[in-house]
Amino acid sequence: MLLSESARVTTAQEARFRIQSPNSKPRAVKVIALDSEAARLVDDISKQPWNGAAFFKSLSFEQSGGDNVKAWLNDLAGHTSDLVGEVANADCVVVIAGAGEDAASVSVIAELCNHYHKTLIALVVPQGSFEQDTVDRSLKALRPHAKMLVIAHERDYIEAMLTALRA
Amino acid sequence: MLKKEQNDLVTQTGPGTPMGDLFRAYWLPILLSEELPENDCPPVRVKVLSERMIAFRDSEGKLGLIDEFCAHRGVSLWFGRNEECGLRCPYHGWKFDTTGQCVDVPSEPEESGYAKKVKLKSYPLIEKGGVLWTYMGPAETTPPEPEWEFATVPLNQSFTSKRLQDNNWLQAMEGGIDSSHVSFLHRGDLNNDPLFKGAAGNKYNLADSKPVFEVVEAPGGLYIGARRNAEEGKFYWRITPWVMPCFTMVPPRGDHPIHGHFWVPIDDETCTAWSFDYHPTRPLTDTERQAMKDGKGIHVRYVPGTYRPLANKDNDYLIDREAQKAGRTYSGVEGIGMQDASLQESMGPICDRTKENLVGTDNGIIMARHRLMRAAKALHEKGVLPPGRTVEDMKVRSAAVILPPDQPYKDAAKEALIAKVGVKQTSV
Repeated sequence: MLLSESARVTTAQEARFRIQSPNSKPRAVKVIALDSEAARLVDDISKQPWNGAAFFKSLSFEQSGGDNVKAWLNDLAGHTSDLVGEVANADCVVVIAGAGEDAASVSVIAELCNHYHKTLIALVVPQGSFEQDTVDRSLKALRPHAKMLVIAHERDYIEAMLTALRA
Repeated sequence: MLKKEQNDLVTQTGPGTPMGDLFRAYWLPILLSEELPENDCPPVRVKVLSERMIAFRDSEGKLGLIDEFCAHRGVSLWFGRNEECGLRCPYHGWKFDTTGQCVDVPSEPEESGYAKKVKLKSYPLIEKGGVLWTYMGPAETTPPEPEWEFATVPLNQSFTSKRLQDNNWLQAMEGGIDSSHVSFLHRGDLNNDPLFKGAAGNKYNLADSKPVFEVVEAPGGLYIGARRNAEEGKFYWRITPWVMPCFTMVPPRGDHPIHGHFWVPIDDETCTAWSFDYHPTRPLTDTERQAMKDGKGIHVRYVPGTYRPLANKDNDYLIDREAQKAGRTYSGVEGIGMQDASLQESMGPICDRTKENLVGTDNGIIMARHRLMRAAKALHEKGVLPPGRTVEDMKVRSAAVILPPDQPYKDAAKEALIAKVGVKQTSV
């Protein structure tokens, strides 16, 4: 009996003939800690080898007349860069917030992500013993802005997610 | 993406593997009751987690699941004579009871006691909800018997089917977690399939193909909430529970029966896709039950006499390119079950996850893999029993709700996600 094409090509033997060339270019992932709790996590995680992911430990911004907001990111080496440029050059932006911490700055990042059509992923990482209310507060602040919102009870999920995204 | 060693960890479930040990910590569905319909019926071959066994129902109705091969010279007991409370090998008459204990070696004097020294490996086999379940782990850590709602409602309220799928269990299970594909792959069925159509919530699926997701950990696994825009600034949430290792439920639509799946490894390259439908508070109608038998909803039509789908890789899934072009189906394959299976089988027997390019909306899958790997390592290295084994973990439901924008779904739908006797599903 002749095998149909679907039957023949889904065998383990045929899987050997998959093209081995890379099927994507490196992804520019920007990871931004929204508070000091998150900054400690980001500091640790950044020490591992990544495929070009950039890590930022803080965000500062100021009104500069009317609706304009100027915003800067500080990386772990203490260098300052313009948030607009970082988001414009990103494939994906990940923000990390400790539970209950002030996540108000996410709205600035989200506005730029919308403007430049970049996906914003938000992780809430409860640390130690925490009240559910504090997690809910963080979710409420982040929910209007993130395309994907994750509560990660273990910090190693951040590394797992970044690895999965090829960051 | 996963590194190769991670992919091996999550996909290999044979004896002695970490993920195999994880699966062996749970009761798993392995046969439909109809496959052992009466006492002394013919035995049935079973392969689960890369172990080959024989299942039979003895003269007194006791269920047995034992090593397939006679301890004498390795003949398959599929040929066995099921009679007088045991399975007798037809080659030389060796007989085994439902525990695998050899009870007769005709060529040896009974007084020699030789038979007592021979025992085939066996696992407990129980019946619940029209399904036969086995537990293949250590006896001292046996979990509570299955309490999934579909298996505990009266039989006239449920319908369960199984089908063979020619790929590794995980790439099949991940389809159950990833609800973003519904707006594409199954869009043709939302308004046509008799077990899906007519629900008020369908319009939100069709109008919004870019759902936003929230993933939260649950004691037994995860909840994956997918939200789409509804009226007046509200959100239509569809909430999928995943209970480790391989149980998911599809959020309900209207008053249709609610459904879900298990994906149980046969070996590393094949699995059984279990599909159940049930209504918590009423019998299934004749029309609903017939639709399920006819392969509607999540069920399929079969090659007669088998559990192999009628549309399968040997006939290119009966693909209809005209239907694809005309928009009646998105992929050209008919039926929700085979729409999923055809694509999942096309990934190859074991999907090579080193080549993936995941995006933010894949976080449900990313977290499920993470939890599986973590639990498998903890069990394998430290003996820590994994989540998802308790009665509370199993008494779970999916839900569909409309909520104001600032309400977390896990709190607002908390009661809806618990299975309660006599309480309808929460649906839109």
